Amino acid sequence: MKYESQSIAKLYFIAAIGLFVGQILFGVILGLQYVIGDFLFPEIPFNVARMVHTNLLIVWLLFGFMGAAYFLVPEESERELYAPWLAKLMFWIFLVAGALTILGYLLVPYATLAEITMNDLLPTMGREFLEQPTITKIGIVVVLLAFIFNIGMTILTGRKTVITLVLLTGLVGLAVFFLFSFYNPHNLVLDKYFWWFVVHLWVEGVWELIMASLLAYVLIKVTGVDREVIEKWLYIIIAMALISGIIGTGHHFFWIGAPDYWQWLGSVFSALEPIPFFMMTLFAFNVVNKRRRDHPNKAATLWALGTAVMAFLGAGVWGFLHTLAPVNFYTHGTQITAAHGHMAFYGAYVMVVLTIISYSMPIMRGREAANARAQVVEMWSFWLMTVSMVFITLFLTGAGILQVYLQRYSEDPMSFMATQEKVEIFYWMREGAGLIFLIGLILYIISFFVKGEDVKMLGSSVSIEETS
Amino acid sequence: MKSVKTDELQIKRASDAALASLLNLTILPVISFIALLLIHRKTQADTIDHYHAVLGVKINVIAAVVLFLVSALMILLGGFDSPWTWVYVISYFTIVHTIFIVFALWALVRAWSGDRLWS
Ligand code: HEM
Ligand code: HEM
Ligand SMILES: [Fe+2]
Repeated sequence: MKYESQSIAKLYFIAAIGLFVGQILFGVILGLQYVIGDFLFPEIPFNVARMVHTNLLIVWLLFGFMGAAYFLVPEESERELYAPWLAKLMFWIFLVAGALTILGYLLVPYATLAEITMNDLLPTMGREFLEQPTITKIGIVVVLLAFIFNIGMTILTGRKTVITLVLLTGLVGLAVFFLFSFYNPHNLVLDKYFWWFVVHLWVEGVWELIMASLLAYVLIKVTGVDREVIEKWLYIIIAMALISGIIGTGHHFFWIGAPDYWQWLGSVFSALEPIPFFMMTLFAFNVVNKRRRDHPNKAATLWALGTAVMAFLGAGVWGFLHTLAPVNFYTHGTQITAAHGHMAFYGAYVMVVLTIISYSMPIMRGREAANARAQVVEMWSFWLMTVSMVFITLFLTGAGILQVYLQRYSEDPMSFMATQEKVEIFYWMREGAGLIFLIGLILYIISFFVKGEDVKMLGSSVSIEETS
Repeated sequence: MKSVKTDELQIKRASDAALASLLNLTILPVISFIALLLIHRKTQADTIDHYHAVLGVKINVIAAVVLFLVSALMILLGGFDSPWTWVYVISYFTIVHTIFIVFALWALVRAWSGDRLWS
């Protein structure tokens, strides 16, 4: 590690992994409630568990992005972080606010939570992914602003690289689009517009910039390929992401009461959205193929390649599957959507955060890479989580196809609940795959504690300084 | 192992072949396959461009068989009007198709660097 202040990332990563465990525990609870309806009722109702599952996901990914930025920016900018104390302070504020919010979800009824947090002064609660009480949302904005100020000042007063500028653009976009969550119009169509301006423009817009820059950073480090090559790729990828993703928001406007032309605009532009993901795969493959060194951190390289492929699969392929209006007419809001949501979030954002953790954690613990045995355990966890996520996706896709057919396509459609009974077998199998995912995650955590001999970079002309 | 020294033109042609193969699997089927066959005719045995042209033809022929023939069989055996047929066909087609695309992507990257698939 070159700069002292990079080690702040460790705090953020530990919190991220802790919350990740919580997210998956609630995922497994949800999966069981799908087949045993009154499991844990009334202590943890399905809607509450779902809210905890998705909110923990978003919060730990934010911890991950922030940790990634705190690790990468000082090194890229060739200076210490502008205000390390601020980064530490914000960490605790974010952690406490996050924990209190989750406890609020679990301990009091949602309506009571709205009341005691004075939601009626500025009502923002009640929408999927954005369920946080208004004061929590304000807290998130404060943390994000302090974070961007800190990162921004470090970048602007230090060496500027394409990677840090793309990252900063993505992070500013993340904060700006979150502001739409404060606008909560009575008109439901308008409300949906603004809701998607947060959710869609995050995952299919600015987060892609964050993802591409993190991936590029790790790939430069583990392959030793020239910056110039990587920067060209970055430009094309982010251009394609924004060109397709912004108007691509229209794929959510098909059936919400928006004008008809969105069916064309949304279909055509969102059909282009797989391109940036496709290019990230091409980019990662190309850079690894042209690598000029064999970095001892094999696990990080595996995560980087895995991210590229799985993001293409989950976002690109499974997104395209239901993005054309005539298809979405049938699949809208079915298990197909859940299948895509799981693989896209995992493949793109979960995996890119795990990639940077895999690369940076050993360095923050004073070595170039984890020891060989620890890496083997980590790679096992990679395969267990990734393969079980593929199966979760396949089972939900199966459930979704059956659901569409029975409930929406057939000559005499079945009711929603009658259909759910027909697809129960898939829910059982999803739960099985979910348990394997949990085992993979436990193994992942164990990998940090496995002892063994250090591995060193072999036969390389590049000094250790360059890589750590 | 490269048996013949590769020059720029061969790498260019190998890259074109690999790209045609990838396009045939994705947004420009049939036309790209014809282009691939045309590239194949220009190449000579034991060169990298020949290798990638042949590889591309192989990938695409195998993909066509594995995707269309097997899917057709599934539909024939399962019945067009059975929901379960479509559960299998759509899941199968999507995942296997993607595997071919990712494979062709790797082939393209290898062609760019003038290499065979594994060396
Ligand atoms: C990493 C990137 C992506 C992530 C994390 C992601 C995640 C999600 C999630 C969670 C939903 C469900 C939202 C809800 O609760 O209703 C969703 C819906 C959707 N996504 Fe994505 N997505 C990504 C990329 C894409 C791409 C590239 C496409 C198109 C090619 C796409 C197409 C769609 C469509 C059409 C829907 C609406 C489904 C419906 O009508 O129910 N997504 N996405
Ligand atoms: C890193 C892994 C995971 C990610 C990124 C993830 C992400 C998500 C997302 C984005 C949603 C909202 C879906 C939508 O709006 O369509 C969701 C819902 C859900 N997840 Fe997960 N999840 C993960 C793991 C799991 C696991 C292991 C299970 C259980 C076996 C699970 C079970 C569920 C269930 C049952 C829902 C509710 C679906 C519904 O409302 O119908 N998740 N998850
Ligand atoms: Fe979207």
